[in-house]
Amino acid sequence: MFSLIFTAITLLAILLAPLLIPIIISFTLYALLEPISETFERHGLSRNASSLSVLLILVAIGALCVSLLLPHLSSQLSTLQSQLPVVWQSITTMGEDISQHIATSLNLDIQSSRLTQHFFTQVDEWGKAALIEGSNMLISLSVLLVLVPIFTFFLVRDFRTFRNNLLDKLPNSSFEMGWLIYYRVAHQLQEYIRGIMIQSAIMCVITTIGFYILGFDSPFLLGIVAGVLNLIPYVGPLLAMVLPVLLALGHVPVEFWLVGAAISVILIAQLIDNVIVIPAVIANAVNLHPLIVIVGIIVFGNLFGFIGMVVAIPVISTMNIIYCGLYQGIKTRYNLKQKAAIDI
Amino acid sequence: MSSQHPLWQNLFKAKEDRTSEVTEMWMDTPLFDKITRRECRDLVKTMHPRHYKKGEMVFNSGDIGASIVLIRSGAIEIKAAEKLLAELVAGDFFGEVALIIDEPRTADAIACEDSELIFFLRSDLEEWIKRSPRSGAQFMLNIATVLAARLRHTNILLSMQTS
Repeated sequence: MFSLIFTAITLLAILLAPLLIPIIISFTLYALLEPISETFERHGLSRNASSLSVLLILVAIGALCVSLLLPHLSSQLSTLQSQLPVVWQSITTMGEDISQHIATSLNLDIQSSRLTQHFFTQVDEWGKAALIEGSNMLISLSVLLVLVPIFTFFLVRDFRTFRNNLLDKLPNSSFEMGWLIYYRVAHQLQEYIRGIMIQSAIMCVITTIGFYILGFDSPFLLGIVAGVLNLIPYVGPLLAMVLPVLLALGHVPVEFWLVGAAISVILIAQLIDNVIVIPAVIANAVNLHPLIVIVGIIVFGNLFGFIGMVVAIPVISTMNIIYCGLYQGIKTRYNLKQKAAIDI
Repeated sequence: MSSQHPLWQNLFKAKEDRTSEVTEMWMDTPLFDKITRRECRDLVKTMHPRHYKKGEMVFNSGDIGASIVLIRSGAIEIKAAEKLLAELVAGDFFGEVALIIDEPRTADAIACEDSELIFFLRSDLEEWIKRSPRSGAQFMLNIATVLAARLRHTNILLSMQTS
């Protein structure tokens, strides 16, 4: 049964692969907006009217964010772009200095220029790949802007009916178990999605303030990057350190206290996150072993890229609940059959 | 004009009648004491009707329990260790313990006639409590009253057996 469900989900994922990102984003927005739609319905609006109201709110918030944030973001992005050549130059000089120092103190013949050359060829290739990826993302972004509101509207309007029709088709013997598993999965996913969104927003605010105090030129951009990367458990905070550390290294002359301070901002944000935000917002949202989380992130990241890393935890958690529910149900049936056989 | 067509009229009427009928059945139970008919009706719309053939198991002892069940039509036997505990008919309800605790069922329920049962899931109850905490608290108080009455009844039976 479990392998059947797993195969069906995998086949569906392969078939819907081109639409996977808008579907995931729409489901995330559905989890966030469904309570608002329910509130509207309780106050007498029809399902259609409440779904439409939710869609209008979504578009209004989206438009507000774009109009308020986009100018700041683009100016900070261009500042960052102008800083990058200086950063590379500074890191090259530093690399040469370090290798020179090692060569002198250990009396070795290290060809620093070849090493840095190799490093920068590699970085250049990564940069080009990132640029191509970035331009592809811009195309996808415009598709997303059209598809996501449409998908979200239909999800808010019709998902409950679709779910009821589907689950009511279960045979009498599995009806209760099916609903129970569905609710456990839905509840846990909703908790996780809401929790991680709030967590990322808080991380974004804390790191933005931190980088602003340290005098970085693009604090808001760095904060957004840290917030988005925080969607990836364990690995995200480490990745979030890369950009601020590179920018800190780009200062001429290199100020090592700034590098330490940049790392400290992420670490302090993580500390606040672990001590205050996680217990209050997403405690027990997922109950997985850290090793499973890390392996899952690597495997999903390898298969589906950044989105794979973000969805790894909810997907593994869902599979875990379905497996536990089915296992419990099958075990009960098996015990009953055995008991009946003994009675005969 | 299409709404005047007898087929459509009957379709909607049937649905409306079923909701009203089930609402009245729930309102007649002690579970919806001091809860408004309107709220009960809204709740009935989220419930799940299922049909069982004569002799079909509704649930086994040890199954995962997630709902309370109202008998709309037909009759149900409740058995534990092959011993008949109760025979329930239309308007009766059973399985209310599953609304409170996430534990396996403690008895077997078998349809002794073709029956229509209305399932009220714990998850739907939890959502209702979140939406209407005051009515939800009243409902939980009503369930506690029902469970206390059943416990008292069992205690009396036990004391009679031992004496």
